[in-house]
Amino acid sequence: MNSSLSNPLRLGLRQERVIPPQCLVIFGASGDLTHRKLIPALFELFLQRRLPSEFAIVGCARRPWDDDEFRAKMEYKLEKQISQNEKEWVNFSKYLFYEPVDLQKEDDVIKLASRLAEIDKDQATHGNRTFYLSVSPNFYGSGCKALKNAGLINDPKKSRIVIEKPFGRDYSSAKKLNRIVQSCAHESQIYRIDHYLGKETVQNILVLRFANTIFEPIWNRNYISNVQITSSEIVGVEDRAGYYETSGALRDMLQNHLTQMLAVTAMEPPGRFDPEAIRNEKAKVLQASKLADEDNPWECCIRGQYEEGGNNANPLKAYREEEGVNINSTTETYIAAKVFIDNWRWQGVPFYLRTGKRLPKRLGEIVLTFKDVPVHLFESTIINPAPNQLILRIQPNEGATFKFEVKSPGSGMRSRPVEMEFSYDESFGEPSDEGYVRLLADSMLGDPTLFTRSDEVEAAWKLYTPLIELMENAPWKLPIFKYESKTWGPPEADQLLSKDNIFWRRP
Amino acid sequence: MKAQLTLQTPLELPPKEISSYLDKLWISENDFSLGANTFSLVVWQPSWLEQCLVMNNIISGPITGNLSQEIIKTSKELILENRLPLATSLYSSKLTDLLKKNISYDSSEDLRGQFFESSISTLNPRRLITLAPTFERDSELKTFVSAYCPLSDDTSDQTICGDLVVIRGGTQSIYSEGLELVNNLSIDDLPSWLWWNGSLDDSPEIFDSFCEGGRRLIIDTANGSIKRCLDILNKALQSNKAINDLNWVRLKSWRESLAMIFDPPPRRAILEHISDIDIDIEGDHIIQALFLISWISDKLAWKFEKIEKNVHGIKASFRRGNGEEIKISINPLPLGNPSIHSGQVIGLRLISKISKNPKQNTCIILGSESAECTRLEAGGMADMHLIEEVVPNSLSASETDVSQLLGSSRGNTSPLFENAIKIAREIYEAID
Repeated sequence: MNSSLSNPLRLGLRQERVIPPQCLVIFGASGDLTHRKLIPALFELFLQRRLPSEFAIVGCARRPWDDDEFRAKMEYKLEKQISQNEKEWVNFSKYLFYEPVDLQKEDDVIKLASRLAEIDKDQATHGNRTFYLSVSPNFYGSGCKALKNAGLINDPKKSRIVIEKPFGRDYSSAKKLNRIVQSCAHESQIYRIDHYLGKETVQNILVLRFANTIFEPIWNRNYISNVQITSSEIVGVEDRAGYYETSGALRDMLQNHLTQMLAVTAMEPPGRFDPEAIRNEKAKVLQASKLADEDNPWECCIRGQYEEGGNNANPLKAYREEEGVNINSTTETYIAAKVFIDNWRWQGVPFYLRTGKRLPKRLGEIVLTFKDVPVHLFESTIINPAPNQLILRIQPNEGATFKFEVKSPGSGMRSRPVEMEFSYDESFGEPSDEGYVRLLADSMLGDPTLFTRSDEVEAAWKLYTPLIELMENAPWKLPIFKYESKTWGPPEADQLLSKDNIFWRRP
Repeated sequence: MKAQLTLQTPLELPPKEISSYLDKLWISENDFSLGANTFSLVVWQPSWLEQCLVMNNIISGPITGNLSQEIIKTSKELILENRLPLATSLYSSKLTDLLKKNISYDSSEDLRGQFFESSISTLNPRRLITLAPTFERDSELKTFVSAYCPLSDDTSDQTICGDLVVIRGGTQSIYSEGLELVNNLSIDDLPSWLWWNGSLDDSPEIFDSFCEGGRRLIIDTANGSIKRCLDILNKALQSNKAINDLNWVRLKSWRESLAMIFDPPPRRAILEHISDIDIDIEGDHIIQALFLISWISDKLAWKFEKIEKNVHGIKASFRRGNGEEIKISINPLPLGNPSIHSGQVIGLRLISKISKNPKQNTCIILGSESAECTRLEAGGMADMHLIEEVVPNSLSASETDVSQLLGSSRGNTSPLFENAIKIAREIYEAID
């Protein structure tokens, strides 16, 4: 049978929560994130008819643009997306406004306040405002202070602030930043965004675990031998060298995205589906997490940097040859770490986390490997019987695979592994929304469930403090191992697991 | 969830003093209002059945306005004992007319408006106004007022205080005096809802006067004559008035389950070859079935063609864009268990014929119980590829459905419902 593009009975059926009248103010509106992610996500919400008619998006940056120029720039950048929805874009672009603002200049922010009051009146947004700080992390603290001084975030019911990652550079800077931000606004107004949490499959981990009875009884140290969390990218540093040189894979990916996946995978069931109950459990599990060897962190972490690779037709540069990268750079583009969680559920179960650039595939996945059967009754068609694995695919081809043994056809009783597959595409046939679509909507709805709370952020930084201190004080103890572009990282990363007689899954 | 009783016994005040009392109350502590910034809700709460049962001493009072398990059980027994049609709804006037004959007007304690389902009270309504009509049309109006500031585990400084007004009296008194009082008590800056928790045939002059205001309406078309219900819906559409129907809300699990079947892309071609649809309903109130078929036909772009009514039910036909006919049958089934809501869908069967070979065709069956699925399997359906699902009818109380509407919606009429109303009306008018 042929398949049609979308399920006609599904159209309009999704009962989406209604975003109240709202003015979304984006600081850093001339930056990449605005045209690559934020405006497309907002346009998508508009196409899904989820934006209220009383709505406004106010772009703010230092560039001296006006409303028309901002609209034209966004139109140019979103050309592809608009081409199929030209009429809708015309209507959507009426919501776009622009105000030149330097957050460091008090006059600018005061001017912004009066412009927002005007827009509030014209667009009937009822004084509800969401301020999105898509600016350099150096300006998070001062930005919040400027908003506070201008009286823009005084009403905790009507105003909130969304802050992009990275939130701090280490435990102490995150703590300091939390203090500053919390002195300007109530914690309930602060939305620290981690777009991985907006992904359908990350949220599905909660449903899989807590809406089914079959997984939770075996989701613990009695049945699970190890957990692997991988996020890999094919691309190199691209045009982000300026930022990446100061962050590296640990700060860019490990401390936030991978650690959030760890928290969702390992947390205890919350008492109810409530933002605070969920964030309490996530914070608790992060506070119980520690590097496998905190005294000798080099024993449980491998850093790498990509070298040249590719082929004659498509040669790939080494990291140090990329534009904007220091020729002697010691920034890691790959990191693998072994973590333990000190609690009843996970005591002794290693969690292996790895992330890197210029790896062979773009993917995100969580692999739970179950313990071996106590006695092997059957001969296996492969030398070692494969342990059961539950593989949760975050991207691409979102879904889950369960690997288990079956009888191999034939007269003997030999076993072989097979895979039971669930794919979002095959089951639902519709692409899931980009993480930003979900998270922008949630922030405007005032739902903080998928945003990280101050104690979560601090616990995540604290977890990696021994590594960060080592990298800063004795970097030779945590050397950078080279790996060829388009390979699965340095061989030393394999040894991190092979010491435990475990191997990275080769996706 | 259990209904919650107000902590403070409402104070009886003359109707004229209610507004000024509340105004004073809210400014006595500070110079500004402390009330929750949420919504106000007016509830038409006749509870005729409960009033009859209590006044006949069949169940003990007080009258609370909540449809308790005791009321449901007793009423079902009464329907059977008095040989009323099995499909008689608990909201049916047949039942109350029967009970009204013997009621004694001794004063029974009436606590309507003081009991609220916790799913509604946790939304912290700013003002709850209950219109509690009594049997004596002209009995004079009594008004009660109470304010409350519930304890909250939310640490934010959001104010959640609200107040509660009960307007009790004969329908004539409510119409002549009560409505004006309701208008005086409206809070301009907050969304205001009316929940008509009774039959739509009841007190039309009062309902119609509410339709003229800016309130968002919540009705239940399972209670009321089909013509009156469709007229009300149509009038609301014509005047762009936000309207929500609990009878449509209760169809949600059917719509969701049917859509879910076609989520896997390889199944979608089945939709292009549907030839027959059978809808089984409990009793003979066909409005929910009309909504269901209207929604399906709207989504699949079928055009309504004709309808005929016979003793077995209703036969209709639609036409697809390519000219193929789709036959629809709505079958009222008298079940042994009198229903709470009239005409609830209990079974749905779709037959899709892609070929002359039955094995290549598909039959989709959704039933509210396994027995209903078995009933729809009869007639050789098992020769086809069968897709079956049990969709239990929603057991949630009306209060829970209302609280979901209050909590998640801005009150606008759902576009899906709007389209379904138009088609349902077109079909119903063709019967006449």
